[in-house]
Amino acid sequence: MKVLRITPQRCTGCMRCEITCSYEQSGVFQPAKSVIRISPFEAHTSYAPYTCTQCDEAWCMVACPVNAITISPVGAKVILNDLCVGCKLCTIACPYGTVFYDPDTDKATKCDLCGGAPACASACPTQAIEYVEAESADWLGSFAAERAESQLAQQA
Amino acid sequence: MARTRHVIVGGGTAGMNAITTIRQYDRGASEIILVADERPYARMVLPYYLKGSISESHVFTAPPTRLRTLGVEPFIGRRAVGVDAQANILTLDDGTELPYDDLLIATGSSAVRAPVAGADGAGVHSFWTLEQAQGVIRGITPGCSVAMIGAGFIAFTILNSILELGAQLTVVEIAPQILPRMIDATGADVVTRWLQERGVAVRTGAQLNAIEDADGRKRLRFQQGDDVMADQVIMATGIRTNLDWLQDSGITINRGIVVDAQMRSNVPNVYAAGDVAEGRDAVTGEPALHAIEPTAMEHGRIAGANMAGQAQTYRGSLLMNIVEVLGLEIASFGAWDDTDAEVMSALRPERPAYRKLLWHGDRITGAMILGPARDVWATNDVGILKGLVQSGVSLREWKAYLRDNLFDVKRAFIAAGATGRLLPQTVLGRPSVAAESVAVQ
Repeated sequence: MKVLRITPQRCTGCMRCEITCSYEQSGVFQPAKSVIRISPFEAHTSYAPYTCTQCDEAWCMVACPVNAITISPVGAKVILNDLCVGCKLCTIACPYGTVFYDPDTDKATKCDLCGGAPACASACPTQAIEYVEAESADWLGSFAAERAESQLAQQA
Repeated sequence: MARTRHVIVGGGTAGMNAITTIRQYDRGASEIILVADERPYARMVLPYYLKGSISESHVFTAPPTRLRTLGVEPFIGRRAVGVDAQANILTLDDGTELPYDDLLIATGSSAVRAPVAGADGAGVHSFWTLEQAQGVIRGITPGCSVAMIGAGFIAFTILNSILELGAQLTVVEIAPQILPRMIDATGADVVTRWLQERGVAVRTGAQLNAIEDADGRKRLRFQQGDDVMADQVIMATGIRTNLDWLQDSGITINRGIVVDAQMRSNVPNVYAAGDVAEGRDAVTGEPALHAIEPTAMEHGRIAGANMAGQAQTYRGSLLMNIVEVLGLEIASFGAWDDTDAEVMSALRPERPAYRKLLWHGDRITGAMILGPARDVWATNDVGILKGLVQSGVSLREWKAYLRDNLFDVKRAFIAAGATGRLLPQTVLGRPSVAAESVAVQ
């Protein structure tokens, strides 16, 4: 399966992924509606995009009481808007924090890999986000741990 | 050789998940009988039916076509009245005897009303079943006044709906705070203020004594304080497990049916799942009666897998609840009220936002989060707090930082490697399957 491979060392924090994602997902240029989100590290000198890994368990999908989440032909867990009632069980079931709730539509929203042509990957100018054949992995863990070290040391 | 016959009692979340799971593995090789006293529906979505945002047909989870696709023989509208665990026979209320190879008890809970005079009168409702929801829909008209007795999770799931139907609302709770089994007193204060500022009357520490008829309306009398007048009364005063029919069956019942890690009762071919089962709690490792939807789902899947001959071990479910009321998100996870835990909390009354983390050593074992649903972080951090509790990841490097920066949990989650710990986790030891793709072959 093709997944979003994140190489955080390449991310410049330009936010093009968030802008393009929100437009693709909800038709507006509004980062708050993006389902990929940039986190800042080292006092905003480095950044990393964070989004759904399309995990095997699909905590969101199995939690849905009306089967409003399914697996798309490209292997993404996708929300069927006609069936979603907005109960938010998926948002507490997902242990990654990557299922969102849109208060304007009263529906859950999450990464659907744009049907196999992820807009975030196309928009990323540094190939920090690539859509490639790979196993899902923790792309950000060690990057974030290194970047956090100095900040936490200062805090201490 | 005769096909194995599975009998499922109860068509709620636990029962339907068990059926789907059995079919995932056996593709129709076994016989499945479903006994359900109502047409199966999703209780979680009844508030949206009440509000009118979905139609009645949307609530049903197993219409006849779906049951045919799953190869299920239904006994809908029938109630199980007894089980002979020696002879392996289930008896229904019309006298039908159903022999089984294995049996799943997933009979759920029923609403109970506070034992006060007038609790069974006209205009007094429970909100638990579809039929009760229909009663509430008929009762509420724009401009009418509604008294909600009980301020727990169930009550809170329908506050939005009642207000959207145009009713005036008074919430009455016997405990000193609202949502006493979901959030702490500080969180309850935030929610109470939020409700009051939006026109909802909240009365806590109020012991209801009687509900009287008064010129076509209802007069609520209390141990202390003024009466409350209302057109309609909803009693959300708790639920109890539907286990009476198992007395003398030989099946061991504590608070719920005692089960092992395969969701088996003391009778090896009798399983239990959902509200009636005392499954393992993921944080404490102890048997617990969660009576929540996500736990019923996991119970059902584990029971179904084992009934299909897969030796699947249940790691336990996480206690969790989420409810949104008038745009305020309220959620708690795990052992959020553990008095032995080390506690960190932060309150920003101006947003309002409230967080609480409960620690044992370097691990978070419980969490609470409150804030406006419109805040960008709201749903993002809700899931991340769940992941921190579920993964049990060590936050040693981050603990001191989080004490002063409780609203910045995401970077701690990422840097602690929670994702890497969570990715291999699956409930059934393999990738989940979309329910609608499951069918007999």
